[in-house]
This record gives sequence, structure tokens and C-alpha cells, in this order.
Amino acid sequence: MLTYLFFLSSGLFLGWSLGANDASNIFGTAVGTRMLKFSFAATIAGIFIVLGSVISGQNTADTLNELGSINALPAAFAVSLSSAIAVFLMLKSGINVSISQAIVGGIVGWNVYTHNPTNAETLARICASWIFCPVISGLIAVALYLIVKKITSHSKIHILWQDWIVRVGMILTTALGGYALGANNMANVVGVFIDSCKFEPINIGHFYTLSNIQILFLLGGIAACIGVFTYSEKVIKNVGENLLAFSPVVAWIVILSQSLVLMMFSSNLLENLLTAINLPALPAVPVSSTQAVIGAIVGIGLAKGGKGIKWGLVLKLMSGWVISPLTAFVLSYISLSFMENVFRQQVMIP
Amino acid sequence: MNSLMFNVKISLFARTRELEHSIDGLHDKIIEMTMVFKEAVDIYLKELRSEKYRQISKKIKQIEHDSDILRREIESKLYEQNLIPDMRGNILQLVENLDRVVNLFDEVAHKFYIERPDIPKIYHDQLKTLVGEVSDCAENMAIASRAFFRDLVTLRDYSQKVYLLEHQSDKTSAKLRNEIFDSNLELAQKIQLNTFVEEVADIADLAEDCIDALLIFAIKREI
Repeated sequence: MLTYLFFLSSGLFLGWSLGANDASNIFGTAVGTRMLKFSFAATIAGIFIVLGSVISGQNTADTLNELGSINALPAAFAVSLSSAIAVFLMLKSGINVSISQAIVGGIVGWNVYTHNPTNAETLARICASWIFCPVISGLIAVALYLIVKKITSHSKIHILWQDWIVRVGMILTTALGGYALGANNMANVVGVFIDSCKFEPINIGHFYTLSNIQILFLLGGIAACIGVFTYSEKVIKNVGENLLAFSPVVAWIVILSQSLVLMMFSSNLLENLLTAINLPALPAVPVSSTQAVIGAIVGIGLAKGGKGIKWGLVLKLMSGWVISPLTAFVLSYISLSFMENVFRQQVMIP
Repeated sequence: MNSLMFNVKISLFARTRELEHSIDGLHDKIIEMTMVFKEAVDIYLKELRSEKYRQISKKIKQIEHDSDILRREIESKLYEQNLIPDMRGNILQLVENLDRVVNLFDEVAHKFYIERPDIPKIYHDQLKTLVGEVSDCAENMAIASRAFFRDLVTLRDYSQKVYLLEHQSDKTSAKLRNEIFDSNLELAQKIQLNTFVEEVADIADLAEDCIDALLIFAIKREI
């Protein structure tokens, strides 16, 4: 068990960085526009990240497992650590990326190293979701923006009551965003440890049993919570200058669009529903909350006439979405080689 | 616990409602001031510094005092309740600007009371026209300012009216001042009357400045 926990530490580190970085996507704009206090928003987000991880976190894990089911603990450690380093390197170079892309690069790195065939269809589905995620988020943001603009110009609600409505909306969206982040992204953090999971199920009273996988997701959720409380305030303050350009209403639309997109890509129910009515299904795939936020901001920018968008910056961010999985792929390959040849650890159970 | 939370919510809502009433109250006071000022100048032109003028002068002082209290209430409540953080600075500036207009009405009315200018009958109609335009200008400014909180389309409509009335008052005051200096009055009287006309016209200028700032705040308020 101790060995398991040691190897799991890289996953928990990844969980911590998920909380530290992606929390700014959930409630950063709410805190940046001074509509919610950091401690209040962080508490709500933290609670719902844990709930989302434990209740719905496994949906997206299945897709990652289809891509490559890492069955040896040292390999899971190496892949997880490589992804974390790839994300860290990208952040250092000023490109905001998400763990979703890095972990996929890491898993494919394991597939290539261990001569495991990569499921091309799953990989294509995941890559397609990275394109659809910002596009759908942008479309939702534009629709919400136009609806809210119409309502505010016709409703004649006093500015003070508008302030209240936006605040309540932000609180609900922080909860929804937290749940969606836990549900959609926690598989990135602990997904590679599922096959080698060593936990025993725990009974909570006589009513509910936490499965061994749920305990794993619970630990990931707690690590993300710690990330939210210990580091996300700094991340929010760092990007604060950009956030100030938004009005609170736009800030709220951005986080709402992001949360809805994350929910869409986490829901098996929605996937089944769309398939049942012969529509193209949105797969339960871990997508990037950063991509969703950027998609929403660009969408609203275009709806306003497109003058304020810094296309150079958008292209730079998009380049990160390609470079980060490639970096994670290379690092994963190298670290697996080290793990096997230097530390003499098994990286695949045949 | 639930009942405590319910009470907290109710009290927060009640405090927001109070602030809304204070903001509306301040605008009501400005509109009241424009009406009373017009009446005060009429009384002065008819009766000079009579008992009636003294009474109406006191009324103007009271309106100015009440609007000062409302301004302070709005400023402190906005910060105490941490409301509209992105627009708070703008609203404080707006409230200060409105207060300046109210103060100028009070100053001019008080100046009539203290200096008791001798205004020849020949200028009465033009002065009444000027006071009417200036008061209407300030009234429209108050309506535009009230609309800023609820309805930006109405704000634009009334802002246009303020600009037109200010332009009109500029023309009226220029004509009046020209006539004063063309007359055979003593230089001292000419200068005194000129100062009065200028100060009355300044009210419209101040209302226009207030609208300029308000329209910039409105751009920020658009989502």
C-alpha cells in the first residue's frame, strides 16, 4: 500500500496543479471582478470539485482507458509526472494549457514505448473534442451573450438588482463549474492509476458504498481542493489584469459557458440521449477548461465586432495545445525508459 | 440555521432596497430643486427680497441639505454593502457631480438674497427664459441620470435634450450679456448683472459635464 501511495503522489501532484490552475477558469473572473470573495468561491468550488470527481469522474476515465490502459504502477507514476512537467514547462513559457492534452500525450508515449497499439478511433475522438470544445463553448457564450444583452436592455432592472442576480449566478456557476471540473478532468489526474488501484471499498453508514475507484477519485479531488486553496489565488491575481477588461456579466457568461461545455463532455446521459435521436454524440472525454474559457472569450469578442481580440495571442495559445501533448509524449517515453532501464521497474504487465 | 440565513438574506435585500430608494430620492430632490429655483427667480423679479423670497430661499437650503444627506448615505451604503464593485467609483463620481449641480442652484439663489441685484424690467423676460432653459436642462440631466441605473436607451434620449438645452441657454445668456453691456447702465451694475447671468448659465454647463461623464460610464455599463 505504501508503495502504491508513493507512486500515486505524482497523480496527487497533478491533482494539486489542476486545482491551482483550473480553478481560475471556474471562478477567477468572479473573484477578479470582485463580485465574490476568494475564500467563499474557493470553498464552493472545492466542495463541488470533490463531489464531481467522486460521483461522475469515472465517465471520462473510460475514454482514457480505451486510449491506453496503463496497468503497471511505476508506468502510471512516470506518465503522470511527465504530464505534470509538460504542463509546468508550458506555464513557464507563458502558455496556459490544460492537463487534458498533456495526459493524452503521456498515455500515447506509454503505448509507443510498450508497443501497445494506440486505438486510433479513440485518439481521433479525443483530438476532435479538443477542436469542438472551444468552438461549442464559443457558440454557447455568443448565444448567452446575445440573450443576456437583450434581456438587460429590455428588462429595465435596476443596476443594484442586476448586481445581485449576477452574484447569485456566479455562485451557482462556481458550484456547477467545480462539479464539471471534477467530473471531466479528474480522470486526467488519477485515471492512469485505476488499473493498479489498491484501495478497498468503504461503507458509509448502511446507505452508500464508496468503490475503490471512487476513493481514488476522492483523493484526487482533495488534492485539487488543496491546490485551489494554496495556489489558485496567486494564479487569479497573475491573470487579473486581463480579467479586468470584462464586465461582471461577461465574466459570468464566460464561466457559465465553460462549465456547460465541461458538463456536456462528461455526461454519459447526454451522450446516450444524442445517440438515441441520431445526432452526433459528444463523447465523455476530458477536455480543457482553458480551451473552453478561451473559446468563450473569443466568441464574445467576435459577437462584439472582433476588434478587441488579440489574434497573435490566440494563435500562441493554440500552439500550446499541440506542443503540450507532444512534449508530454516525449517526456513520457524518456521517463518510462529510465523507469525500466535505470530503476529496474516494470512498466507493463503483459 | 436556516432561519438565520433567511434573515441575513432578507436584511441584505432590505438594505439594497433602501439604497435604491436613496438613489431615487436624490434624483427627486434635483427635480424639486429645478422647480423651486424657477419659482424663486419669478418671486424675486416680482417682489425682490420679500418675506416670500426668504421662505422659498429657506426651502432651497433645505433641499440642498437633504440631498447632501442622501449623497452621504449612498456613498457609505455602496461601500458598506460592497455593491457593484466595477461601477462603484463611477457612481460615486456621478453622485458628486449631481451634488455640485444642486449646490450651484443653492449658491445662485443665495446670491440673489445677499446681493439683491437691481435687474431692469427690460431684462426680466430674457432672464426668465434663461432660468427656464437652465432648470429644464438640470431636470433632464436628473432624468437621464436616473435612467442610467435602469434603462440606457432612455439615458441617451434625455442626454440629447440636455445638450440641446445647454446650447440654447448659451445663446440666451450671450444675447442677454451683450444687451446688458450695450445698455446705459453703470459699469458696476453691468458687471454685477453679467456675473448673475454667467452663474445661472453655469448650471447648464455643469449639467452638461455631468452628462458627458454619465455617457462614458454608460459605455462601461453596456455588456
